[in-house]
Formats: sequence, C-alpha cells, structure tokens
Amino acid sequence: MSTEGRGQGAAPASLDTPILSVENLVTEFRTGGGWYPAVRDVSFTVQHNETLAIVGESGCGKSVTALSIMGLVPPGNGRISGGHIRFAERDLVALDEEEMRKIRGDRISMIFQEPMTSLNPVLTVGFQVAEALCYHRDMDRREASAAALDLLEQVKIPSARQRFADYPHQFSGGMRQRVMIAMALACRPELLLADEPTTALDVTIQAQVLSLLAELKATYGMAMIFITHNLGVVASIADRVAAMYAGEIVEIAPVNQLFARPAHPYTELLLRSIPRVDRDTGNLSVIAGQVPALGAMPTGCRFAPRCPLREAVCTLRDPPLVALADAPDHHVRCWLRAPPVGGGHD
Amino acid sequence: MTDSILTVTGLRKFFTVTRGFPRTQTITVRALDGISFHVRKGEAFGLVGESGCGKSTAGRAALRLVEPDAGEIIFKGENVVTASKARLRELRRKMQIIFQDPYASLNPRRRIGKALIEPMRVHGVADAAECEARAHALLAEVGLPDSAMMRYPHEFSGGQRQRIGIARSLTLEPELLVADEPVSALDVSIQAQILLLLQRLQERRGLAFIFISHDLGVVRYFCQRMAVMYLGRIVETGPIPAIFKEPLHPYTKLLRDASPVPDPQLKVLMLRIEGEVPSAVNPPSGCHFHTRCPHVMPICLTTYPEWRQMDDERGVACHLHTQ
Amino acid sequence: MSNIAAAAPSASRGSSYALQQLARAFNANATSWIGLVTFLVVVALALLAPVISPYDPLNQDILARLQGPSMSHWFGTDSYGRDILSRLLWGARLSLVISTVSILAAMVIGGIIGILAGYIGGRFDMVVMQVMDVLLSFPSLIMGLMVVAMLGANMGNLMIAIALTAIAPFARIARAPTILVKERDYIEACRALGYSDLRIMTVHILPNIVAEILVMGSLWLATAIRIEASLSFIGLGVRPPTATWGGMIREGFENILDSASLSIFPSLAILLVVFSLNMLGDGLRDAIDPKLRGGE
Repeated sequence: MSTEGRGQGAAPASLDTPILSVENLVTEFRTGGGWYPAVRDVSFTVQHNETLAIVGESGCGKSVTALSIMGLVPPGNGRISGGHIRFAERDLVALDEEEMRKIRGDRISMIFQEPMTSLNPVLTVGFQVAEALCYHRDMDRREASAAALDLLEQVKIPSARQRFADYPHQFSGGMRQRVMIAMALACRPELLLADEPTTALDVTIQAQVLSLLAELKATYGMAMIFITHNLGVVASIADRVAAMYAGEIVEIAPVNQLFARPAHPYTELLLRSIPRVDRDTGNLSVIAGQVPALGAMPTGCRFAPRCPLREAVCTLRDPPLVALADAPDHHVRCWLRAPPVGGGHD
Repeated sequence: MTDSILTVTGLRKFFTVTRGFPRTQTITVRALDGISFHVRKGEAFGLVGESGCGKSTAGRAALRLVEPDAGEIIFKGENVVTASKARLRELRRKMQIIFQDPYASLNPRRRIGKALIEPMRVHGVADAAECEARAHALLAEVGLPDSAMMRYPHEFSGGQRQRIGIARSLTLEPELLVADEPVSALDVSIQAQILLLLQRLQERRGLAFIFISHDLGVVRYFCQRMAVMYLGRIVETGPIPAIFKEPLHPYTKLLRDASPVPDPQLKVLMLRIEGEVPSAVNPPSGCHFHTRCPHVMPICLTTYPEWRQMDDERGVACHLHTQ
Repeated sequence: MSNIAAAAPSASRGSSYALQQLARAFNANATSWIGLVTFLVVVALALLAPVISPYDPLNQDILARLQGPSMSHWFGTDSYGRDILSRLLWGARLSLVISTVSILAAMVIGGIIGILAGYIGGRFDMVVMQVMDVLLSFPSLIMGLMVVAMLGANMGNLMIAIALTAIAPFARIARAPTILVKERDYIEACRALGYSDLRIMTVHILPNIVAEILVMGSLWLATAIRIEASLSFIGLGVRPPTATWGGMIREGFENILDSASLSIFPSLAILLVVFSLNMLGDGLRDAIDPKLRGGE
C-alpha cells in the first residue's frame, strides 16, 4: 500500500531534536468552586522512535497529561493554564481547535483503555478505520477501505476480509483493542499516545497486544507514550520511564536505571510493594496513607507526608527535578536524593 | 482430606439463555463444568484464571450464593448444597465473601456502624451494647478510626472501603473467606496495604481463604496452594512453589510467562502467542485449550484429558501427562 | 492513622448525606425553588381557607350573580352569586386532598408491587408487569369514568379512581432501579450475611430507590389534580354545590358570554398549581440524577 513517506523509518532531520517536548505543563481542573492543578510543572521530551512510559497510580495526572497533549482536556471544567507542548516546531497549547483537529489522528494518535466505549457500536470496524483515512488523507471510500483492510491485517485480525464489515460487539476485548490500534495508525502518526491500552485485557491477550505494539512501532518508526499503572508492563516495553505522583513527575530515567536503582522514595517503595510472579517476594513494602486530594495538596514535597525519609526541608518547598550526580539522564525530584547543585531552589 | 475445611466435588453450573423469536435459540454457558478442589483449615487457596474461566462463579457457588446445578460442597463435614434454608443461614456465618469493587460493595445509604452491627443483630449474636463494642473492635482491626462508625461509604477512599468490606465480612466470625479479586480494583500501593491486612487477619484468626484473582503475582504472594481454571474447568492444582517453578499444564505455563515482571531484563514480549480466548458458550472440542496450545497433539482435539492426581498435592488435566 | 482521618471529607451530621446533596443540587436551579415556593403558598392558602375565605363558598346571593372582579368580590361571582375567590380556596382544599391521598396510596401500593416484581423476578415479575401494562393502557380519564360510573361520584371514589391510574407507573418506576440495585455487590453481601428477603427489600433496596419514587410522586401530583379537575368538569367529580375547580370551569363554560371570570380564575389556579408542581418535580429529578444514583 502506498503511504506518505513521513515516519517510515526515514532518518529525521536531526536525531537529537525530540519529536515532542513538554515544558512546565500546568493543567487545572475546577472542583468544588476553585481551579486546582491536576498536573503541575510537568516537563519531558520524547525522542523519535522512543517509547516513554508514564507510570503512576490513579489521580497522579498521567491521563491528564496525555489529554493535554492531544488538546482533549474537557473545556467546561478543565484548562491548560501554563507551559508549552512543542511538536513539529509548533506549540500545541497555542493552537486552536481547528488546527488541533488536523493533527489529531494524523500526526498524533491516541488509543484508550476501554475499547468497547471507544469504538462506535453502530458502525462497522472497517468503516471506522477507513474514516480516519478519508478525513485526513482525502481518500475516496474505495481507496480508504483497501487501506483499512490492509491495516486490519497488519494488526493481525484473523480473517480480516470477512470481519471488515463486522461490528465492535462481535469482537472480543483484545480484538477491539487491535481495531483501535489500526484506527490510530491509519495515518502513520509520528507519535502514539496509549492510555492504559491493556489494563482491561486478560494477561495473555495483554502480552499479545504489547508485542503487536512493539512490532508496529518498529515498522512504522513511531514514538510512543505509554501510560500505565503496571510496572511490569513498563519494564516490558519502555525505553524511558517517567514516574508521576500527585500531578508531578518525581523521577524520569532510562528503564534499566529506574528499575535497577530507583532514586525517588516513592518509586523505590512502589517497586518493593509489588508481589512478583518470577520469584518469591519477601516482605511487601507498604506506603502508608494515600494520595492527597486535588484540593488539599500539602506544601512542600507532595510525597513528604507519606515518605519514610521525610525531613524538615521537605515540608517547606517543593523540590525541583534535578539530575543525579552520576547519571545525567536520570532526574529525580527529591531534596534528599537529588539535591540541586549549589543548594539552590527553583 | 482430614484437615480440609471445604471440599468441593464435581461442581457444575450452567447458565441458559433463550432468545429469538419465533425460532428460539437456547444458549448454554457452561460456567462451571465439574470442578473439584479442597481448602485446608487456615490455608489460602488461590483460584486463578482469565476472564470467563468461571473462577468468580466457583467462589460464589461454594457459598451457594449461586445455586449449583450439580456437585457437592462439604463444609466442615456438612453438605452445603443439600442444607435447608435455615441451616444454610447458620452455615453462612462461617463462610463469607469480600468483593472486588470497593465502590459497589457497600450500601451507599447505610452508615458504616449500622452496616457492621446489622449482621450481628440479625443473627442475634449479642445485645446492642456488645454489638457496638465488637463493631469498634473490628474497625480497629482493619485499621480504621472509630469516627468511621457514623460515616457513609462515599466519604472513604477505595482502599478504605475495601477495609470496611473486610470488617463486615468478619462480623460473624467466619472460618472461610471467599475473596473475589479483593485487590484488583485498587492502586498498587493500596494493594500492598490490603494484602498485608488480609495476611494479618489470616494469622490472627486462622482464616481459610479462597483467593480468586487473575494476577499471578498476588496469588503467588498470598496463597499456599492454587488451582488454575480455563473455561469452567480446573486444569491444574498444586502447591504454589511447585506450580510456579514447574507448571505442568501448558496454560499454566502460558499464564506465568505472560505475566509482566518489573524487571526490564525479563520482557514478556518474546512470547509468540496466537489465538483468542474461546467463549464459554461454545468451547472447543476435546481439550478446551487445544486451539492455543503449543504442544497440541491429535488426541487433544477429540478427547478431554482425564484428571491425573500426581500425588497428594498436584493434579493436572493434560494429555502430556496422562500415561 | 491520623492522615486517613484527615483525608476523609467532613462527616455528615445528623441528617443524611442524601438530603444535603439533594438540597445542593436543588439550589442550582432557580425554577425548582419557584416551583416549591409557589406550591407551598398554594398549600398554605388551602389550609387556611376556613380562616381567610371572605365568604362562605356555598352562600348564594342571586342579586350579585355573574359579576366581574370588584372590591367586594375580588374574583367576581358565579351564576348563583357565590364568591369565586372563596370557592377557589375551598376548591383548592378538595383538589389537594384528593390528589395527595390518591398519589400517596398509589406510591405505596405501586412501590410495593414494583419492588416485589423487580426483586422476585421470573414468572412473578412477568405476570405482575403484564397486569400493570393492562392498567397502563387505560387513559386516566376513562379509568376515572369507569370507577365513578360503577361506584358513584364522591371523594373516596375519586381517590380510588386516580390511585388506580397511578399505581402502574409507580410500579414501573420502582421496579427498574430495584432490578439494578439487586445486582449490586452489597445486596449479594446481604444474602451472604443471611439476611431475609424482606429485610433486604425494605432496609437495603428501598432507601436506594426512594428518591426516584418521590420525584415521580411530585410530577404525578400535578397529573392527579388535572384528572380530578377533568372529572369534575364532565360532571363526575364531587357533586355540586361543593366547590371544585373543575366544576367551576364547567359553570363558567356554560356562562362564558356573561362572565369570563368564572372560567378564567379556576383555570389559572389549575395552571398555577400544575406548573409549579412540574417545576418542582423537574428540579427534584435533576437533583437526584445521577448524583444519588448508586451513591457516588
């Protein structure tokens, strides 16, 4: 199938420029009469062909970050109130809806957790996959359907030709997720956002879908931001990992480093609180307490109330994200583990 | 089994749905197709499988919350299936359940205190003052403050609600708890809290568990023995260390290998697994797993493998292991 | 455990959280308050009718018949010279009593039927709901006609007629959420704890569905008033000379050319009450949906 050349493994203009650069993003939501930041001072980059995993528990802001990148923050009670999202030499925060729509589904795509509600139940899967092509590539229906069929085969839907005209409810959860992936990849996006795409799937199906994503990513030369709460999944697919807590990135590092030497107390405790399949887990670590509510964030380090290493300085000011002394690509937000050089502040 | 608190034999449960007009079509879902297992006193027994395997139905059938179509459930020497309504009510005191969804397991209109005291009053376990004292003690046992008594469920987080659900299940001093995915809906850090709580309770009260989960890591941590279910049948049972070290059934091995591990050196992507989970409505002929089995043989397509009890502990239903 | 206590929001004191939520959502809507206040004013006027009514509603004054509004008769007089305002106030009492009692009866009976049908399910549910469907297929007026024709036209029979019409909708409105709630884990927990079905239905299911029933009740109150007025209009209501709004409209209908007041004021009264009840009911319905549903 003929495709646009963009992103087909062709070397980008400069390998050093990241494909996406999020700088100091602040996204707020309105609850109980005030605006509170669900995501605060979030900065990270994604390189071409890289998989960045954003990991955290519910309420940490990982989904909000993805929605912010896509410009899908619900306008009634949510807004991006600060920061920049640089993509293809433009600042996505500054774009209006019309321009964002051209980018969505075409250059940046997203897949979601619940494939049943993300697919329109009254339209055939073939139609929904072809639709993206019609809209963005201006193809006529026949061309788009042929391309869509090809995509369904690429995501390994068995008997794709016969199933082209089937409806979502006739597919299992794993199959629907594949259809979603086909839709997302229809226009060969440069960046794929995957928001917990395998959380609702059985573990064997999850392994299949993760394999598929890795394969497609390599074939298409795509960058991917993979959002999940499952550290095992992160270890399987990520090149780099950003751990989020209460709306901030608390640690970001290449995947091997994060698992081998987690620097932030939260990440460290989290890793030790997961029972393992491959060996006997000794004692599970417990993180006392719970995530603070959106409107009741503590002053200083947001994790301090639950941190076993807490000291006085932690409750005074929020620590900045700082590189570790011996690992320049490993950043941590902790006064104790990664004190800023010169003892300075923001 | 002399020290078994619960022995289930040949449990069957079919769900039939008739639909279509004028020609009706009857669809039978074989949720449980003859399963047998036993749980020892004070032991955590894991029931593992993916969606549609029937593990939740099995847990509920063991308590007769779902009426079995066939089979025997012997609880402390008494047959639960044939028990009278009155006798069942008394038996229920000893066998309780905790649910997966902390947001659906508590009545939103009832204060916590009332929810904890009610079972005691209904069964006439103690007078009003004593009930209240016991309720306070239960709250303390699950790590919640006294002030929770007067509050409503919506005022608590998921993890806290799960604790309340656990407290409620303990009000009648049960000896067996069916835990249906008790930590699956919770955040990772809360999971650890609840697992530790359940362990403490198990030690202190000598509780036996039927621990239902799809998460093998959690089952490996919490349980001593387990059974693996696939499409309404048990395909393997055994002690946890042995099963994980050397699974006998190809499905068990598949489950174990497909479970993600928080170690970048051990990626699960290497698996070449094909095929979907077949539906319980129309299971494949012969061995249900043959459509996805890497070791499939001709006999697997025609005959369901007989259960082979290897020794007192391990058992498997697979043609690879029948002699 | 101090942080758990700190993290939990403020506890509800005394009255239930349900009422607090209801009040807050209700407040968001101006029309619901208008509806409530208006209705309460009408109720107050009706209750005080014996005290504030300027004339005896049955007091005839033939010389003053069919007068328009004046200083002595604020709303004018009817064809027998009776004061319209007084008759309106006393008519309000009648309408409100008939509609309230009949709707209350329908709520209780229909609610019980609905909960039983939803909880027991199976054949029982099927049979009961088919009976309800038969009842539903009768237009309210025809039902009223039949009952009154068979039993005679008095207050009690009117209440029976209206209640009969309303039972089926209440059964429906109680049945649907019962079926939903019945499947919830906490009901399964009740069964696991050995609670009787009766206890489960009354203590656990009912509080979770009562909101819907009450909303329906307020909306049906308006319908009941309309039915009562319609029956009176066609002469099947409470017999004259008792003051009824419907009866007054009929009189006005017969004397429309001589005095418009006789038709206009009772019509306005019905309009006002029905409208305010609808606003109230809509406000309540918005308030309970979806906040109280499932308690989240």
